[in-house]
Amino acid sequence: MPPPSSSAPGPLRTLSRRRFLGGSAAAAATAAAAPLTGCGDIVGTSERDTLQFWNFYAPAPSEDPSVVARAEWMQATVDQWNAENPEQIELVFAPMLGSEKLATAFAAGTGPDIFLISPGDIIRYINGDVLVDLAPYLEQQAIDDFFPDNMASRVVGDQIFALPMEIEPLALYYSRPAFEQAGLAEGDLPTTWDDMLGIADRLIASGQGGLVVPSTQGYYQNFVWYPWMWQGGGSVLSDDGTSSAFDNDAAIEALRLWQTAVERGLTPRVEPAGDDIVTSFVEGYASIWQSGIWSISDFRRRAPEFDYGAFPLPTPPGGEQATALGGWAFAANADGANPDAAARFCAWALGSTDTAGVARVAEWCVETKTDIPPRVSSLEHAEQIGGFDTEIMSTFRDDIFPTGIGEPRFPPVIYKAVSDAIQSCQLAGGQPEEQAATAAQGIDAYLKTYEGAPL
Amino acid sequence: MTGTIGTADAPAPSTSHGERRQNNPNTRARRERRAAYLFLAPNLIGLTTFVAIPMLMSIVLAFFSVDGFGGYTFVGTANFERMVNDPLFLSSLGRTLIYLFVLVPGLFVSGLGLALLVRSQFPLVGLFRTALFAPNVISLVVIALIWKFLLTDDVGFVAKILGRVGITPPSWLGDPSYALATVMVITIWFSMGYYMLIFLAGLQDIPREYYEVASIDGAGPWATFRNVTWPLLKPTSFFILLTSTIAVMTGGLEMLVVLTNGGPANSTTLVIYYVYQQAFVYGEFGYASAIASIMVLILLAWSALLFALTRGGRFTHAD
Amino acid sequence: MPTDTAAGTRSTPTPPAAPRRRLIRRRSHRKKTALFTVVGIISIVTIFPVFWMFTSSFKGADEVLSTNIIPNDPTLSNFDYVFTSVPFARYMFNSFVVSATVTVIALFFHSMAAYALARLRFRGRDTIFIAIFSTLLVTAPVVLVPLFLVVHRLGLLNSYAGLIIPAIFSAFGIFLLRQFYLSIPAELEEAAILDGCGYWMIYRKIILPMSRSIFAALAVLFFLANWNSFLWPLVATTDQDLQVVQLGIASFQDQHSADWNYVLAAALVAAIPTLIVFAFFQRRIVESVKTSGLK
Repeated sequence: MPPPSSSAPGPLRTLSRRRFLGGSAAAAATAAAAPLTGCGDIVGTSERDTLQFWNFYAPAPSEDPSVVARAEWMQATVDQWNAENPEQIELVFAPMLGSEKLATAFAAGTGPDIFLISPGDIIRYINGDVLVDLAPYLEQQAIDDFFPDNMASRVVGDQIFALPMEIEPLALYYSRPAFEQAGLAEGDLPTTWDDMLGIADRLIASGQGGLVVPSTQGYYQNFVWYPWMWQGGGSVLSDDGTSSAFDNDAAIEALRLWQTAVERGLTPRVEPAGDDIVTSFVEGYASIWQSGIWSISDFRRRAPEFDYGAFPLPTPPGGEQATALGGWAFAANADGANPDAAARFCAWALGSTDTAGVARVAEWCVETKTDIPPRVSSLEHAEQIGGFDTEIMSTFRDDIFPTGIGEPRFPPVIYKAVSDAIQSCQLAGGQPEEQAATAAQGIDAYLKTYEGAPL
Repeated sequence: MTGTIGTADAPAPSTSHGERRQNNPNTRARRERRAAYLFLAPNLIGLTTFVAIPMLMSIVLAFFSVDGFGGYTFVGTANFERMVNDPLFLSSLGRTLIYLFVLVPGLFVSGLGLALLVRSQFPLVGLFRTALFAPNVISLVVIALIWKFLLTDDVGFVAKILGRVGITPPSWLGDPSYALATVMVITIWFSMGYYMLIFLAGLQDIPREYYEVASIDGAGPWATFRNVTWPLLKPTSFFILLTSTIAVMTGGLEMLVVLTNGGPANSTTLVIYYVYQQAFVYGEFGYASAIASIMVLILLAWSALLFALTRGGRFTHAD
Repeated sequence: MPTDTAAGTRSTPTPPAAPRRRLIRRRSHRKKTALFTVVGIISIVTIFPVFWMFTSSFKGADEVLSTNIIPNDPTLSNFDYVFTSVPFARYMFNSFVVSATVTVIALFFHSMAAYALARLRFRGRDTIFIAIFSTLLVTAPVVLVPLFLVVHRLGLLNSYAGLIIPAIFSAFGIFLLRQFYLSIPAELEEAAILDGCGYWMIYRKIILPMSRSIFAALAVLFFLANWNSFLWPLVATTDQDLQVVQLGIASFQDQHSADWNYVLAAALVAAIPTLIVFAFFQRRIVESVKTSGLK
């Protein structure tokens, strides 16, 4: 996003994109290093003719069946595209634990043509003008097919800047063995916040693990926290997105809930077992854990015999059920080698309305992963191919997903203000009222100078 | 002029050698100069290309607002002004100073202490040296996991051991009042072997004769250390003091990212982590560069002070 | 320790009286026992977390993050997986090529520069030294993008050269070697000059042989730094054939969870080469004792 232009005096205003650093690097490097190496662009990536698709699935670096299945879906999708189109696409593996790779490439003006993006990050890309609007590449029928709540964070007006490949709602998982040990039954599953704390208390009193919500600061923690606020009718920003609404009772109570859970010793300050739900349940380190639908596939893969379930997040008095919807999306780089082909690929891969296109998205969500498909037609198809035959998947579809709200897209400053409030209350004894007010002030101050896509 | 304390009584260049050498002083000086430049050339070219130029570019960036997507806008000193009003930057600077004041002496003492302990021969000493160095060879991601695991509240190994003797430990990584101290202990744990290694090499550089003289004079271990080891170890100590300061201030990032992510409640957000976060999480490369250039300035001042006190690390006439 | 080195190696014309020697022996024996105990305890405490990693890499996926130290059901399958499912041997090979090449070239280049800075007299010496030193103050996160641009411009991305060349140049080794060369007695060089040796000969015949212990230490540090490097290979390569060990380890971690059993096994395998390098060189570091040259 451009800074307030008033602070940029002098004639040296906006330099043309990519000229400045690239230019000086060229000059400097040529001057200093040409005699050293004596060779120019022999292996350079500048003249690549195939489009690069950076992702963390394929080519698969591993032989684990579920990893392989995801890689094969990616590969099959790209192979089919390559067979039918002159513009060729190459899959490049960029590990999850290495987001610096994408950031560096974009900062240097050499970002990949196609890449995966999460709602937490998308606003920077939208405001940086590097995403192709995919709407012109989609049929109206396809656009209407995507669940609108989940699309919100990727849409500006009628422009669509990324196409979701999956929907990942959050719920509370629970360990049936732990519940049994504590003398709790299915009917005891909490539906209110007080119930939830009471149940966690009973679990801990009988020697079981507690209730785990994330404690590590970061985008993920905010994402997991939002639904607790939404349940009481709160939100971070006002409806038009131009001022803060964070200083409200719903947010304060949600901050207090997480604080109480830690202070009463029900929630650990550090996620047990390296933040791994499967081990924590199997070893009895935790009994209830807030996580996304993706954990189902982790249990399937690593502890298929383990008996667990999931239920919607309990609500505060007078509150309404809510959850947050996560998931990644395809995006096309507007400054790439061939933005048009990249956009066509995204639209074709995830937005085709023919049977194959609908099936492709469904298969990704329920055959390689355990997710909710982002399109009505794909959800239907996923049901037909048995993706929701298990109790837990149908719980997610019927009881949890319908109350979902897409993960919001906040710029770093807003994310950080909320994160500081959560961290302070949860772990550092901050007063929820004060923290909410401080965060609201910070957000308002920021929004005064914010120029960019509506939030 | 090149003698250190230990060899300070070495003959000055005005001996009989000197007279003969002065046969053709100009030729020799020229040859010496030319040789020096040739010896330096490969490094100068490489350092300029791959370190100095990127550094200068990042300093220039400090005066720009960068969107992370190749867009640059000149903003004058706005990034520096922003720093003054950024509470998180200021608090991270404070934490970094604490970190420095604890870790630099901590690493120095532990590194030197270990080196003195393992320098001589005794059974299994090679194995012990390897054990002390071992934490260095493990990927930082795994180091972080190991410690997260050992320090897990209630069920972690440390909590269990302490629980057995009736102590309920705090949440080492989850309580803002302990997290920074925990990170410092872990850092000492895994870096002390590194400095031990450098000190070991430095100790080997002390000619054995000096110890023999000290032993004949009946000097005890402390006197030997004070009169022989310490003065002769000065060039190494100087090196370690400077490089550990730099390492503590600009390094250790990967571990912070995987161990605490700057938390809880920003309590382990050091300047280097903040720079990283601004650059790679928020895409604010301009602001990140401005903060980094302040760090460079602080380090330059510190280095200049040390250089001035030690005559450029030569200790020629100092002390 | 001064006592036992003195007693062990000296060939003085007047040996100490017998009772005194026995006293020294007894004292040195007691000292060795004390050293052994103290160092042993510190080593065990230090190595313990690593030991947990070692035992845990033999645990199955369901057990890996449990608190038991000894696996209930030890298995080699993690190692099998690491090598068969991923081209881990290839990653190790790449890391080895890069680390070994950088180490050898860097030792050579750095010692040349250090020799000039410590032993030769020329105009601008201190300025050059300070300029070199100041490159140590680099802050990795902010130079990553500029460095990427430079290397991109030079056409070195996605190549071994792009992994190796930028890693060679660092002021760390130059600075450390310079500190060591400062204390070499001037007499050795003076004598060589009298014999008509040029500077290159002095460097080769006097400086290099005297650098053995410090070279051994630096070789460990250089190898280690490159073997463990993650960020630069991450951004500088996209080609699967150029992946290095640390990237291989990272690939076992995905979006929401990590296969810690594989991560630990891979990290253990990855740790072995550097440990071997250390174990091999640590003896060199302490064995090559320098003499002052003054007799």
